[in-house]
Amino acid sequence: MTAAQRAATSRAGVGEPLLTVRDLVVRFRTHDTVVYAVNGVTFDVAGGETVGLVGESGCGKSVTNLAIMRLLAKPAGRIEGGSVVFDGQDLVKMPEQDVREIRGRDVAMIFQDPMTSLNPVLTIEEQLTETLRAHKQVTKESARARAIELLSLVGIPKPETRLSSFPHQFSGGMRQRVMIAMALALEPRLLIADEPTTALDVTIQAQVLELIRDLTQNLGTAVILITHDLGVVAGMTQRINVMYAGFIVEAGLTTDIFAKPSHPYTVGLLHSIPRIDGSDEPLIPIEGAPPNQRVAPVGCPFAPRCQWRLERCASENPVLEAVDSGSVTVLTGATATHRVACFNPPTPEEAAAGRPLREQGSRA
Amino acid sequence: MTTSPTPMILVEERASRGLWGDAFIRLRRNKPAIVGVVCIILFVVVALFAPVLAPFDPNKTGLGPSFAPPSREHLAGLDKLGRDELSRVIYGARISLFVGIISVTIGLTIGGILGALAGGAGGKTDTIVMRFVDVMLAVPGILLAIGIVAWLGQGLPQIMLAVAITNAPIFARILRGSLLGLREAEFVTVSRSMGADGRRLLLRHMLPNALTALIVAATLALATAIIDVAGLGFLGLGPPDPSIAEWGTMLTDSTEALRRAPWLIFAPGIAIVISAIGFNLLGDGLRESLDPRLKR
Repeated sequence: MTAAQRAATSRAGVGEPLLTVRDLVVRFRTHDTVVYAVNGVTFDVAGGETVGLVGESGCGKSVTNLAIMRLLAKPAGRIEGGSVVFDGQDLVKMPEQDVREIRGRDVAMIFQDPMTSLNPVLTIEEQLTETLRAHKQVTKESARARAIELLSLVGIPKPETRLSSFPHQFSGGMRQRVMIAMALALEPRLLIADEPTTALDVTIQAQVLELIRDLTQNLGTAVILITHDLGVVAGMTQRINVMYAGFIVEAGLTTDIFAKPSHPYTVGLLHSIPRIDGSDEPLIPIEGAPPNQRVAPVGCPFAPRCQWRLERCASENPVLEAVDSGSVTVLTGATATHRVACFNPPTPEEAAAGRPLREQGSRA
Repeated sequence: MTTSPTPMILVEERASRGLWGDAFIRLRRNKPAIVGVVCIILFVVVALFAPVLAPFDPNKTGLGPSFAPPSREHLAGLDKLGRDELSRVIYGARISLFVGIISVTIGLTIGGILGALAGGAGGKTDTIVMRFVDVMLAVPGILLAIGIVAWLGQGLPQIMLAVAITNAPIFARILRGSLLGLREAEFVTVSRSMGADGRRLLLRHMLPNALTALIVAATLALATAIIDVAGLGFLGLGPPDPSIAEWGTMLTDSTEALRRAPWLIFAPGIAIVISAIGFNLLGDGLRESLDPRLKR
């Protein structure tokens, strides 16, 4: 049964998204500090869709997804609010036993560093069949056959001779292919790829991304692609959520966000990567550093670094609203509304210039 | 599912030797470890073939005058009862090897269960088990062993149990430490994300990775066990049966006659040193060659 077929029998109603994250709040508490890691994140993923989650290191991208999978490091990391509804069931309230059933079978994950995400003392075969054995009663022979099938699916030559290898005998790119094979073994309906190419060579990156795209398209698997690399999301995703300090600050179709970035942070991100189309624009770095997330957020998290800052930005946190006010908000699919959380969004001209052009009467 | 995957460009061809194969190759390049292995082989061969190698019956008295100095016939001299010291040392290797292996095995089992319980379950179980282990570690090993022998009486089984119990907390602590580190290892999170349950995580993923640390600890513990047994014997808590040739007891006997026959301390002393150094060198070598961080 492919993910698409399984979707037809799913519990979620017609037109309902596969994954609905609402006001997700994650905190890390140690005896004397609280880290405000994720502060009310809301987004949807429809079946078969590829959604990007973009932001710099430490902005809460990975934590959001570990929370969705209920894999936060215990006891410090806790989901302190919101809901994560997958296929009609709230994963936040679900007992651990039931979440385990869903992990690997319905929702799978690929991690950042293929060097550390495989067990050094187990063979490739043992690890490839992990997912199968966790969810199904399978004989050794059928598990082995499936492992060979999976390895050839992810493009590893002579798979039958590779099964008895250990991870250290594989290169980084090959290990990430094994990870992908493990994650897709049961044809999950949602794949969370957490910076899947960050640790890889540039030449291997494109191959691995292409592999993820091809396989998930064939299976009808939805993908959440976490990355800090705008180049990666541009080619892979239909929609993007831009995260900053535990908030989603801008969301919309990938094309909309690249054409008309409306949050000062997104504008800053786009101006801090060099362009290869020949235009000789200077790179404009984002001044300052991300906020200290050990302090409860007040106001817009980006305000201290923002060139478009107004007085109210320091005390009020804007909510995510449609850029073109008045339109009906669509959260998923090809007609998703472009939304931004900003009191003073940059105009298209300013976005192109990378700095404010209007007279700022009410600058703080 | 039909798809044409991107072909691999770089294929790394390497012979599959496996974890132990690689470790063995690294161990062979480690000179001190080889010296250790030679010492251990010497020790084990002497223990196994004691009846063949010993020139005399170790319990036959009156082979000559008491405290006879080393001669061509009696290379290590005779003890106060006129027994051949060399033959007794050779037979003593059997006792040391036997007691060492049994006590380390018992200690490893007790400590391993405690450590797996603490590191695997975590939370309250961890706290209770580890506080208990801390209390045991707070008592000096040899003192604890003396206490146990004093309580249970002298004899080989009591000595083995005493040495096992002094070693157990060390194994518990090592195993728990590696399990705690492994709990946060990325491949464990990966395995959890694939739906593996706690049992599988502990048994298939964490324990095999913690095993190397335990093997190293067990090898080093064999050295301490031999010294502990000799120590107990030296303190007069060795096996009461005089027909059991035990190195520590022999050492005590020879110190009593240190003025008359100083040569008597050499044979048992050297035997203890060689066997203990052998296991120490091998243990250190194993630590280096099994360390996954040194793996490419």
